[in-house]
Amino acid sequence: MLDLLLDPSFAASIPRFVTPILLAALGGALCERAGVFNIALEGFLLMGAFAAVLGSYFSGSPYVGALAAMLAGMALGLVFAEFNLRRGGDSIVVSIAINLLAAGLTTFLLRAIFDVTGAFSDAGIVGFGPVRLPLIEDIPFVGQILSGQSALFYVALLCVPLMHVFLARHRLGLRIRAAGENAEALRAGGVEPRRVQLVALLACGALCGLGGAQLSIANVNLFVENMSAGRGWIAVVAVLLTRGRPWPLFFIALLFGAVDSLSFRVQGLGLAQQFTDMMPYLATLIVLVALSWWRARRARGETR
Amino acid sequence: MRVELNGITVRFGPVTAVDDVSLGIEPGEIHALVGENGAGKSTLMNLLFGLVRPAAGTVVLDGVERRWSSPQDAIASGLGMVHQHFMLQDTMTVLENIVLCAEPVGRFGFVDFAAARRRLDAIAAEHGIAVDLTREVGRLSVSQRQTVEILKVLYREAELVILDEPTAVLTPQEKDRLFDTLRNFRAAGKSIVIITHKLDEVMEIADRVSVMRAGRLVRSSLLDETSRQEIARGIVGGELPEARTRKAQAAGDVVLSVRDATIARRGRPVGPVSFDLRAGEIVGIAGVSGNGQSELVRGLTGLDPLLSGGISLCGQSVETLDVAARRAHGMSYIPEDRQRMGLALGASVSENANAGRDDRSAFTTGPFLRHGAMMRFARAIIEDYRIRVAGPSAAASTMSGGNKQKLVVGRELTRNTAVVVAENPTWGVDIGAIDFIHGELMRMRDSGHAILLISTELDEVIALSDRILVMYDGAISGEVSGGEANREDVGALMMSRGKAA
Amino acid sequence: MMETGALNLRNVLPWLWTVLWIASIVLALLLFVGAPVGEALSGFWQGAFGGRRHAYLMATLSRSALIVGMAISVMLSFRAGLFNIGGEGQLVAGGLAAGLIAILLPGPPLVVLAAAIAGAMLAGAAWALLAGVLQLYMGVPLLVGSLLLNYPIRYIGSYLVAHPFRDVPSGMVQSYLVPQATWFAYFPGTRLDIGILFTLTATAFALVYSYGTLHGYHTRLNGLSADFARTVGLPVRRLTLQTLAISGAIAGLVGAIAVFGIHHRYIDGMLVQPLYAWTGIIAVLLVGMVPWAVPISGFFFAAVQTGAAGMERAAGVPKEIALVIQAVIILFVASRVSGALSSRAGRGDGDA
Repeated sequence: MLDLLLDPSFAASIPRFVTPILLAALGGALCERAGVFNIALEGFLLMGAFAAVLGSYFSGSPYVGALAAMLAGMALGLVFAEFNLRRGGDSIVVSIAINLLAAGLTTFLLRAIFDVTGAFSDAGIVGFGPVRLPLIEDIPFVGQILSGQSALFYVALLCVPLMHVFLARHRLGLRIRAAGENAEALRAGGVEPRRVQLVALLACGALCGLGGAQLSIANVNLFVENMSAGRGWIAVVAVLLTRGRPWPLFFIALLFGAVDSLSFRVQGLGLAQQFTDMMPYLATLIVLVALSWWRARRARGETR
Repeated sequence: MRVELNGITVRFGPVTAVDDVSLGIEPGEIHALVGENGAGKSTLMNLLFGLVRPAAGTVVLDGVERRWSSPQDAIASGLGMVHQHFMLQDTMTVLENIVLCAEPVGRFGFVDFAAARRRLDAIAAEHGIAVDLTREVGRLSVSQRQTVEILKVLYREAELVILDEPTAVLTPQEKDRLFDTLRNFRAAGKSIVIITHKLDEVMEIADRVSVMRAGRLVRSSLLDETSRQEIARGIVGGELPEARTRKAQAAGDVVLSVRDATIARRGRPVGPVSFDLRAGEIVGIAGVSGNGQSELVRGLTGLDPLLSGGISLCGQSVETLDVAARRAHGMSYIPEDRQRMGLALGASVSENANAGRDDRSAFTTGPFLRHGAMMRFARAIIEDYRIRVAGPSAAASTMSGGNKQKLVVGRELTRNTAVVVAENPTWGVDIGAIDFIHGELMRMRDSGHAILLISTELDEVIALSDRILVMYDGAISGEVSGGEANREDVGALMMSRGKAA
Repeated sequence: MMETGALNLRNVLPWLWTVLWIASIVLALLLFVGAPVGEALSGFWQGAFGGRRHAYLMATLSRSALIVGMAISVMLSFRAGLFNIGGEGQLVAGGLAAGLIAILLPGPPLVVLAAAIAGAMLAGAAWALLAGVLQLYMGVPLLVGSLLLNYPIRYIGSYLVAHPFRDVPSGMVQSYLVPQATWFAYFPGTRLDIGILFTLTATAFALVYSYGTLHGYHTRLNGLSADFARTVGLPVRRLTLQTLAISGAIAGLVGAIAVFGIHHRYIDGMLVQPLYAWTGIIAVLLVGMVPWAVPISGFFFAAVQTGAAGMERAAGVPKEIALVIQAVIILFVASRVSGALSSRAGRGDGDA
């Protein structure tokens, strides 16, 4: 087992799994901090994955694909805002509807545009290639993890400190936190919280879109029905666990991504695929239980 | 700044909250706006501040008619408001709270906290008020939070300051300090509006007083030209209900005994608390809100577990029992928060009235409900407690605050238990309902029940209690006997871990 | 009189707009795929309610049996304020248990059938209870816990029919057939199995339970305000677990209906891919959790799905349009029918 963890090729595969979860979770974190209970990350991711393939296929550029993915995510963010913020629909109901909408639209468009069911792969889909970082790639072990990943991985990595500083020191960051903590106070201060929440939703859509792009045009060069496969939900859990704080979020995403990667890896060791497929969800549950147990213990300690 | 409100009318759906009110506010004057709950005072000020929009009427500032599209406009024109429920972000620092929505920004929209600090240092020097800017607001005391709110207003260079019930959460001594600050503002030429329902304060600090009732302006005049009685009559629209007289009565056996109870809360636990409650007496627990009263109540009723200590109810120790078992042993509970804890607003009046009933067989047959019996029960409460509602099948949310509270009181008192725990039982209800609820509590006492009255309203505690315990900082700081004479002693105990008076 | 008339118009107008919005979105999708609109619409109607001797209507009813069943299961949880979105897992647990018991247990067919149905209900209840225990004793919010539990049971089922109980000669990932004597009979002259009778029974139970029992009354109070329920001394934890068990048992029953009425074995993905559980959830949300309207809403969504299949046959519109239509309906209706859910769901109950 230890051999496996220290195997550089295993370690190098972790970022592929971390990136979509991290990007989606960062988006979800913005919503969480802004007081929008967005559990439609699964749908956002899926839509992004499809739009990325669409953009890349028709333009021949992964960057256009990523842009299309961001736009698609933002479009869903706009839908969320329209029905939750403006029309006052319940956020859980809206989330469930958006998850279904994404599942429906992607399969529908898959047939309507490409005339295939299940999956679409084509040489015309151009994916992100590995980005080699000079100097860093020469560092043993670490270099193999940090270098040679997709551009989206570096974007995700950069987003963590950026979001931390943004929330702590930026005007909009301050207002996002206020919208989530005490929206009424923000309104009394003269800033309409729903506007701030709309911005958070759009940014969340863009980030999730990028996460989807990582799934479809960086990890592989194809789109499969329902290819987000629960990662959006894992991102939701990561957000809830960390209450949307960027750094803890990063480490949780790293953990979930590593388990995801590990489950892929141990398939080669003769364990039935069904059991390895289960691992990310069981790991998520275990982390949930462990963290709440730890928090309860700490809360007891505090009062003593 | 001179402000004129002309013919203001505000409607919420079919309800007219403010009806054709005209009012002037002069610079360098402290203007008291009084009236009972629901009279429209807060709505009128929210309108002036841009939080609600008028159906008719105009706002004129220094001779120029203004229309706000949001509070931001009002703030930009020099208005500032300290709301009754503080508009603060608990997890943010004092500094972040003060600059929020008025942030000095540098490059890329990042906040220039250093510039904000410099301005606040200047303000602190000028007005002599200061708070540690790096503290998290959630860890401040109530009066410190109010100071933060006032700093927010000053930071925005407000010329007109509106304070909505600013003294409700303060001890008498903290109130004095606040009034000093307000006089300081008056001297600096600012206009101040203070919304209140406490006549003593009006007489103490106001230059001009306006009285509202049922959405209308009853009178507006200089304080010198009116009298306390005249204002009081204006508030209630007639004579005040006469002061309640307490029937002399010897207290009976101990029915509730609390020994060294401690209950968890954020930071340090509450307690240890010990006291006895006897049949036929009302024991008041006074104190500024947030000094451990709500934790104590949750521990007594079984909503939260005790960390240590014991509770005996009618001679039986109940500290390990759950809510239902304690209720069955003879405890009723009127919670402070009728919207969430006292009632299920989405359910009907009947469903609310029958909840938590002990005599289950009276309204069920096996597992099935007998709707007729439930309706009859609800109708009886509606009549006995003079609740104004369409009927037992109306949704609880359709009732006014006072009637909601009467339903909660009715449901709990009808259970006829030895002990009644009443937590701020008249919070935010109209004078009629307050008087009625006080009467019912007193009737229960006279008929030999024991009432534990937890209230942050000092007047209420003094008017009703046979004995008064004062809570400060999670412990009982002293006990005094009831009655008006001891007001000062109670006030002193409310802000120190003093020795019993 | 005048006044009520005006009021009615004011109430109806927003609904008219809603219908118009939904219709124009569907129309836009049809135009996007270049389908002949007239044929598509008649195909939809035929697919949902027509067919030779109403064969398609029977298909709609057969699908309703599952969707309404899931909706009833979800409704009981939601009304109690329990955001149990793990119906899928409970359904799979039930279907799996039903199939395996029927294959493994020897005995007279009726006994086997009864045992299998009981086993399915127990399995569903157990899976739901697991989510409840995770919430109450381990601090995992029900919303998240119940959802995450969908995945392991799905893979367990997949493993069991891919390896130990696989019907290898069939070449598919599926179990052996259950004994033919245990199959649900068809209504005479139709291809509609009697599974729908079980759903109707469950529906009747749920209606009586919701409107007429003490337990239903108490769980509803808990659903409207958990703080209130605690304050008046209702046994909140016990109510939670009992409600989840009932919910899960009904979902398990639906799994058994699918096995004995439709597939006659457990096929990998047969309960997951058609999104029965999610359709059940949105059927409940569509009518704001009002019990008597839930079966109607469930039938409506079943008709949308079979109608979409008809549209595909008649006009070549991909039948996946059904999902889009459902989502759009929920989006537009969700903002009108207020389901007071999120105020307390998701964040856990802070009990931990």
